[in-house]
Amino acid sequence: MTAVQRLDRLERVTDLLLVLLDAPRPLSLREIASRVPGYPDSHGARRQAFERDKRLLRDEGVPVLVVPIGGEDQLGYRVDPDSYYLPDLGLEPEEQAALNLAVAGVHLGEPIGRDALAKLGAGSESPLGSVTLPQVDLRSVDTLPALPAVFEAVRQAASAHFVYRGERRDVDVAGLRFRNGYWYVIGFDRDRAGARTFRVDRIEGPPELDGPRSAQVPPDFDVDGAFARDPWQFGGGEEVEVDVLVDGVEAGRVVAELGPDAVVGHRGDDGVVVRLSVTDPDALVVWVLGLLDHAEVIGPDPVRTLVTDRLEAVVAAAPDGPGGP
Amino acid sequence: MSSTTDTAARLRRLLAILAWLAQEGEAPIDRAAAQFDLSPEALVTELELAACCGVPPYTPDQLMEIVVTEDTVSVQVGTALARPRRLGPAEGFALAASARALLAVPGSDEGGALSRALAKLDRALGADSVAVELDTPVFLPLVREALEAGGALAVSYYSASTDRTTDRVIVPVRLFGAEGHWYVDAHCRSAGGVRRFRVDRIGAARLVPRPATGDGPESAPGTGGHPGGGPPDTARATDDAFAPFVPGPDSRKVRLSLPPSSAGSVENLPTAGPAEVVDGRVEIELFVGGDAWLERLLLQLGPDARVVRPPEYRRLAADAAQRILRRYRAAGAS
Repeated sequence: MTAVQRLDRLERVTDLLLVLLDAPRPLSLREIASRVPGYPDSHGARRQAFERDKRLLRDEGVPVLVVPIGGEDQLGYRVDPDSYYLPDLGLEPEEQAALNLAVAGVHLGEPIGRDALAKLGAGSESPLGSVTLPQVDLRSVDTLPALPAVFEAVRQAASAHFVYRGERRDVDVAGLRFRNGYWYVIGFDRDRAGARTFRVDRIEGPPELDGPRSAQVPPDFDVDGAFARDPWQFGGGEEVEVDVLVDGVEAGRVVAELGPDAVVGHRGDDGVVVRLSVTDPDALVVWVLGLLDHAEVIGPDPVRTLVTDRLEAVVAAAPDGPGGP
Repeated sequence: MSSTTDTAARLRRLLAILAWLAQEGEAPIDRAAAQFDLSPEALVTELELAACCGVPPYTPDQLMEIVVTEDTVSVQVGTALARPRRLGPAEGFALAASARALLAVPGSDEGGALSRALAKLDRALGADSVAVELDTPVFLPLVREALEAGGALAVSYYSASTDRTTDRVIVPVRLFGAEGHWYVDAHCRSAGGVRRFRVDRIGAARLVPRPATGDGPESAPGTGGHPGGGPPDTARATDDAFAPFVPGPDSRKVRLSLPPSSAGSVENLPTAGPAEVVDGRVEIELFVGGDAWLERLLLQLGPDARVVRPPEYRRLAADAAQRILRRYRAAGAS
């Protein structure tokens, strides 16, 4: 393909976009070809070239509408300016600059943030320069294919349908949270008739969304109240309050993670007792074991026994001596 | 199909140039070209092409008002295709999440411009039900202060991989958030190189005079959390840039055998190679920076996880389990 032909194609596609945006009513292919230079004369070749251009525009996010019209051509095409243009955000220059910095400093799965800024007219140069803002890595869009769809569900207050741990779930989506390195979606689970939290990286396949405002979230639904913030709150089991003693080595970090309200007592110099509301005791045991010698479940007894049973199983499974079988 | 890909990329770039010019009004050709990584000639070619595009009957009001002079380019406000386009779901998400993440960094929005931008964005996107939480360790402000001033900190640091607390003098070189925590890469005199430290494991810190840098920046880095591992001084552009742990020359390779059901729990760990299936079980080789780190992992994985080699680690989990069990049996705590 020669340079001249490639030039023609960009010019034709740009003209096509302008004509479709300008059209007060859907245009037939014949009308389009009379307004946009560069389409072949023969009907078959013209149709083929137009379909290729239409696909290119759609792949670039241009909402090309196809509408049945009367007459020989049967189908008409246009782009609704309201769905093509962003409503004016009215960003002041320093607000635009702040957004540029945020996108440059936050690692999300580039270049999607840069693409978004380019649409807002931000140019392509990194604004970071000598700025010493710390960078933040959020699990990126490109490794979490469900994330944009979930965001769209939140934005449109749409109900979402997806497979989670092998089961189909129907959820009226209410909010999206990032915590401790994971994205979570919070919503009202229709089949279970209650609030549920899902980890976005465990959603299998792309979620399907119903239309805007299809989510029937109860009016008193509180996203932050419903958010199961920690792994031991994910189970469907009965809620039990568990007290964990954490020594001075890990107390500061644990209190920062759980919040000061979790602290119900102090032991020794720097130790604390935290009280956790648990619906998945196994997940709690995993968390406590991660603190090694610095934490101990002090009650209730059944949860304490879960810890010791697990430790005894590890002892029993081990070979007899160093270098054993 | 390369021509379609090429045309699509050029269209995307053309629209970005028009949107940028609409903000700028008029710009020197050199500056505009640099913005979009084009030669000045290529930029002028693209804009002259666009200037010829329009809608019949091609009266001036139907052509895009793009003006190319000898030194400058400009576009008229209101020109079709120069107004910002709607954002796709992933793009809207990227902006909303990035702005929130930066707002969660203490001291990042002193003038309030980012909050105002986010409020406007939320109004347009309807995205106010998204929240980003980052931890805010006590010593984060002090670490930032040291980083910005090029100063040193005397810290007491708890290393999770060795389960020991040590006192060190560190000179921070880079601060970043990953997997919900803050990390600082810092030059550490006692470790003899750059180490990666998790900020919430700093138990005490104060600014101190910077140590004499006879040894200068070093090229044999390691992580503070895992002695022996570490990021290069300029980890920014590498895959290691946001990894909590980067294996170094002192890290040990440990081979584990796991039931297939556990394989998912080790996905994000620093592996030395791909997992292999052996007799229906999954075997992986991990870089281990310290015994305590491996104890923690093995206890969390449970009795079905086994160390294949080195042999001296085969009883590591059982010994740790027995140690912790003694504490429960003493029952002194409750």
